[in-house]
Amino acid sequence: MESLYLLIPISLLLVGLLVWFLFWSIKGGQFDDLEGPGEAILMDDDNPKPQKVRITQDGE
Amino acid sequence: MDLSLRGNSCYHCGSVILPEECYETDLAGELRKFCCAGCMAVAQTIHGEGLELFYARRAQTGDKPAAYLASNKIPESLAPYDDPSLLSRYTRLSANQEYLETTLRLEKIRCAACVWLCEQHLRRISGVEDVQINYVSQKVKVDFNPEKTSLARLLFEIERIGYEAWPFEPSLAIAMAQKERRQLLTRLGVALLGMMQVMMYAWPSYVGDSDITPEYALLLSWASWILTVPVIVYSAGPIFQAAWRSVMSFRQSHVLGMDVPIALALALAFLAGTINLITVSGPSYFDSITMFVAFILAARYVELLARQDAQGGAEALAKQLPAICQRLPQYPTSQKIEIVPVVSCHLGDVLQISPGDIVPADGVLIEYESALDEALLTGESKPIDKKIGDPLYAGTHNILNPFLMKIEAIGQATRIAGIASLLDQALQAKPVMVSLAEKWAGYFVSLLLVSAFLSSAIWWYIDSSRAWTVLVSVLVASCPCALSLAVPTAMAAAQGAVAKLGLLVVRGHVLEGLLKTTDLVLDKTGTLTMGQPELQEMIIVRPEYSREKALALAAAMELGQKHPLALSLLRATQIENIDPAILDESIINHLGKGLSSGTFRLGSSEWIGISKHGKHSSDVLASQYGQIHLADEQGVIASFIFLDTPRAGMKALLSAAHLRGIKVHLVSGDDAPTVAWWAHEAGISSFQGGCSPEDKHDYVQRLQKEGCFVWAIGDGINDAPLLARADVSIAVGSGAPLASAGADAILTASSLLPLAKSLRLADKARSIIRQNLLWALMYNVLAIPVAMMGWVNPWVAGVGMSLSSIAVTLNAWRLRKA
Repeated sequence: MESLYLLIPISLLLVGLLVWFLFWSIKGGQFDDLEGPGEAILMDDDNPKPQKVRITQDGE
Repeated sequence: MDLSLRGNSCYHCGSVILPEECYETDLAGELRKFCCAGCMAVAQTIHGEGLELFYARRAQTGDKPAAYLASNKIPESLAPYDDPSLLSRYTRLSANQEYLETTLRLEKIRCAACVWLCEQHLRRISGVEDVQINYVSQKVKVDFNPEKTSLARLLFEIERIGYEAWPFEPSLAIAMAQKERRQLLTRLGVALLGMMQVMMYAWPSYVGDSDITPEYALLLSWASWILTVPVIVYSAGPIFQAAWRSVMSFRQSHVLGMDVPIALALALAFLAGTINLITVSGPSYFDSITMFVAFILAARYVELLARQDAQGGAEALAKQLPAICQRLPQYPTSQKIEIVPVVSCHLGDVLQISPGDIVPADGVLIEYESALDEALLTGESKPIDKKIGDPLYAGTHNILNPFLMKIEAIGQATRIAGIASLLDQALQAKPVMVSLAEKWAGYFVSLLLVSAFLSSAIWWYIDSSRAWTVLVSVLVASCPCALSLAVPTAMAAAQGAVAKLGLLVVRGHVLEGLLKTTDLVLDKTGTLTMGQPELQEMIIVRPEYSREKALALAAAMELGQKHPLALSLLRATQIENIDPAILDESIINHLGKGLSSGTFRLGSSEWIGISKHGKHSSDVLASQYGQIHLADEQGVIASFIFLDTPRAGMKALLSAAHLRGIKVHLVSGDDAPTVAWWAHEAGISSFQGGCSPEDKHDYVQRLQKEGCFVWAIGDGINDAPLLARADVSIAVGSGAPLASAGADAILTASSLLPLAKSLRLADKARSIIRQNLLWALMYNVLAIPVAMMGWVNPWVAGVGMSLSSIAVTLNAWRLRKA
């Protein structure tokens, strides 16, 4: 049970860290646009090299 | 389906390629065809950067870009953006102080692929350090190194891939809205984190039978206390402030806000918990407190989003004035033109306005007569001929020929700036019905405080140890939030929904008013009709000319003209797929009369020298917008008759009105036969033509005296008294400022269909408000006696209250999808 004397302060520190993280992310505008990143990742994901495009376009 | 794969269409814009204007280039190993050098330049840029995925992913083909894109030189029209005065207006130092930051508004965006392309292209420009693009608002924030690139270069680069961008000057209201949103989200986040952790510390006491010893329980309680303090001070800070303000102003208002009982409950619970903690006796309410704050803030955040959503349309409404203009610094000694930012112009400066340009400031015409489209300001749809000395207004469109003007008012002093500030003002105005609901809640609060202290006092005699708990739980459980939220959330959500349809609500009672309407009074020009001519009929006088030939000839002469009749003629030839004829001689523009090319003349009846065609019934003639005639040395070849067109959605609105039993009236300043013709066309039985603004006003007054509830729709300055007088009024389009000032809502869509839909939405909003009020009342009627009896402990009361607020808000949220 003595471990609580260590664990409780650690948990408080962690909460403090989370709050700091939250401030940082909100200030950085990460919650301003909740749709865009979802769209962007779909577009970026299969961004092919020009070489590959030539093959797929020939196939069309 | 990618249109570019079709045989004879342009790879970029998808339009048909004329054989003599075919551009070809090799892209990714395939020969691609283009309709113009601009399209080819855009496609080459896109392919050159390996972004050709765009062509596979886009949902729609692009527009034809300007030809100057083929060269890699920043056009003169964009260069002034690097002028220090404009640069300082549109850029600021980025967060790390090293680079400049600017916000650009993207235009011509059609799908997610477009946004992606813009982002990728901007990232590849040397000197661009960071790009943040918002898909929803289509705004992009760029950090750039001013030594390596420039604002003008960024704008040009976006044009080079087929879009347009203009630097966006973030208005104060938008910055405030963002700050408000972020701040509330931060407060909510802190409260949620606090709630989670405090509940974890409270777990042993929830479980109850743990073998935890008192000293560890004390440690956990103190840890909870440490986490509760920021929740009380930071997250709930605004609640305490609002409650304090409400108490301070009680003398004047005699009403207590809904924050008072919340603040009181929080303060009492926190105090009691802290005292219990220090004296090591009884429960600490920290888990209840943090949960309570978190739920209240969650409900408020949802409400804030709904409210800010409704404001979004105002930004779209604000029309852009040009940022740059052509100034003649040495006028009248020299006609030398310099391109400068509008902000660096002063009163008395002389500007040249080219055809197609927007007048950047208010002033007077000093040289060359022209015609201006003042539809934005006056609602008058026919172009206004301007003579020397006539006033000009910022935001109006030059449609005829270049002219010189002298600035008399600029920036905030212009009439168009007046409209913008008026709109801002109107948006701040609080709807009447909402404040009534809040007042009601205020009385409820006073009643509640009395009953809470009374029940606590009674408990004091029965069982003094429970008096405190009962006081707190009555206050928490009965919080009138749900009651107070019932109306505003539904209204905010419904307003957001109609704003998306294209109806911007300025005064909150519009939706309620629509439901009460018995009579609808409509204006004709610009409201029921577009006030825009369409080619209705062609009369061929000489049989050797076919319809196609005459149309091709007329179109060839009108090519490049900006007059509404010319545009309408060109539209007609495009629809019929007729190519303009090739003219041997150059076209001469006879101002105010018509055009000539060699022996061919195209123009007004007076100039050609014939009487107007009136061989059809007189009412058809009356409904005409205008006529022009094509003639050569042997006389008239053909006559073109133009007719005003009904506004889209007219039938839908009229049938929706009939369905609800609303009587429709047509009241117009136009001459009586025209109004009669249109009334017949639209199936409106009561109509009146030739009305002055006073007549219109009296018409509404008469109806109101008969006990009718009048809904009016209009667009021009002459409709302003009518709109101001009516019980509910809607101004159409980018109408006259005076009309919008008198109106309760502004229709930003060009169709009348949103109004028909808004009627249905108003029905839905009413039923949701009823559900909400009923639910809130039921909850309070049930919860308060239970809490008074002492059957509820504070945290259960907190959950119940918050859930009822959230239920009300979520119910209102359903309106957004309408």
